[in-house]
Amino acid sequence: MNNASLHQFSTLTVILLMLAFYGGTYLLTLGIRKKKEDADAFMVSNHRVGFGIGAASMTATWIWAASFYAAATSGYTYGVSGPIHYGLWGALMILFIYPFGRRFRQLAPNAHTLGELIHARHGSSSQLILAISNVLGSIISLMVNFTAAGALVSVLSPLSFQAGVIIAGVGVLLYTLWSGFRASVLTDFAQLVALMAIAVVIIPAVFFAMGGPTELVAGLDNLTAEQADFFSVDAILNQGAPFFVAVLAYAIGNQTISQRLFAVNEDHIKPTFLTATVGYGAIVIGLGMIGLMALTLGIEPLNGDMNNLIPQMVSGYLPPLFIALFFILVIGSLSSTADSDLSALSAIMMADVYGKNIARGRADPQRMLLVGRLTMIIATAVGIVFASFSLDILVMLVFVGALWGAIVFPVIASCFWSRVTNAAFTTSVLVAMLTFCVARFEWLPLTGLIGLGFEALASIGGGIIIGLMVFGFLGRVAGFIAGMLAFVAMLAFATDFLRDYTVLLASLTAYGTSTLVCVVMSLASRQERFDFDSIRERVGDYDDHLTDAEPTESAGDPATASLAAQR
Amino acid sequence: MTTLFAFYVLIWPALTLGVLLLICRAVLRDRREARRQHRGLV
Repeated sequence: MNNASLHQFSTLTVILLMLAFYGGTYLLTLGIRKKKEDADAFMVSNHRVGFGIGAASMTATWIWAASFYAAATSGYTYGVSGPIHYGLWGALMILFIYPFGRRFRQLAPNAHTLGELIHARHGSSSQLILAISNVLGSIISLMVNFTAAGALVSVLSPLSFQAGVIIAGVGVLLYTLWSGFRASVLTDFAQLVALMAIAVVIIPAVFFAMGGPTELVAGLDNLTAEQADFFSVDAILNQGAPFFVAVLAYAIGNQTISQRLFAVNEDHIKPTFLTATVGYGAIVIGLGMIGLMALTLGIEPLNGDMNNLIPQMVSGYLPPLFIALFFILVIGSLSSTADSDLSALSAIMMADVYGKNIARGRADPQRMLLVGRLTMIIATAVGIVFASFSLDILVMLVFVGALWGAIVFPVIASCFWSRVTNAAFTTSVLVAMLTFCVARFEWLPLTGLIGLGFEALASIGGGIIIGLMVFGFLGRVAGFIAGMLAFVAMLAFATDFLRDYTVLLASLTAYGTSTLVCVVMSLASRQERFDFDSIRERVGDYDDHLTDAEPTESAGDPATASLAAQR
Repeated sequence: MTTLFAFYVLIWPALTLGVLLLICRAVLRDRREARRQHRGLV
């Protein structure tokens, strides 16, 4: 098994598999295609997407190709608890955003992006900070997914890496271009059904083919003490903790999530996000178990590449049909995320850039559609080029992560606290980015008082993360108490210690600094308190249309007022 | 120990199957509701 190579498909087989997948997906979208799409539906459907489609789309979007590979790598590296430390925190990202999502939806029921809400609350500078972070995140995601397609095609067939990247890019663009978000959510459902059905079959199939529970338990001897421990500190500190820190940041900084928040029927937000949490966790942790199985069997990843673990196990223990199923599983997961990224990017360019900052209240819906479709074409081209040339995006990734961490508190506070000002929002994010860079790249020596200062900021960051999570579910008092307790615990834990872990220190510093600056500036401001009810009047639909089912219901509601009501 | 590990590995595909059935049932219900209201599913 250690010396085995991966099963190889012929070029024709792989092309037929991809044609069947993308052709089938394209045909599916023909069923919902309208000759004349409207701009609002292109961005968020009809704001009444049902629970089933919503939950399927949320789950499919959040599962990308890297989810399987990274979960299996975590299982292989950290042993028994590894898959949990990858999948659980990823799942919680969906769960923890929903209480805040309900507030976003309550404030701006007809928004298309979170940026529109922030524009109505603060103005352009804060909105554009959020929009830029979303755009960068989606471009990176596109590139990663196209790269995964190229890698998969090149290891399982004679086709080149670039051919895989191009087929995936063009395939996704083809079925998303005309109907935008509507095509994305519909195909997400079909892709998720395939993905889940395959996962349900593949995990037990590999498990029993390798010898079942008896073989797994016998192989535990191959594990180190840390790997065999379900409460491994190594796994918590290296895999769990960095993910935990990112839980809120990923959810706030990702337009693919906000888009679904604004698209799902308002009454179904909670069940939709709860189901997606369980669905994501189950699939990803389950596939991560294949990494644990490989570890117990003493299997070495082919060419030292951890991404080969799952294909290697499937190749080694199951017949070629299962490898074809695995191929579809990965292509389905990366395509569902890529089409969501294209829809997210188009919505940002249509609403945040064109609607709010170029047209300024006089947006032409047909021109918006053109902007959206052009965005998709350009984004696909950028994703293909970045992926084809295997560009090093690590630095970009570091900055986007920091930006997402820095905006968490200002965004959430802006939606609950009427004293937060535009200046406080913008300044806090910029200062947080600066302090992040100082800590991350050690522009100043992190020793003595400077080190202590950064650890104090990071402790505030730790307190804020816990405080916001508790606040989301249990309210202000519980959130404040939990945040203060976490802050004190962090002070005790972090002092003279955290400076040695610059990645964690820098991330927490971004949270802490933006919170501190935002709170101090807001408290010092003499600006009039903000009236949250005004957001509903400022954010509405762009098309002058009535909903097809209940044409008269919302006609007099300022929230659904079209273009004319937008400021 | 063997039973525990079998449960630990197999609970995830079982949960996946449960969520899959839940979502499929919900989509069928959404579809019926959409037809009743003469509107599209998405």
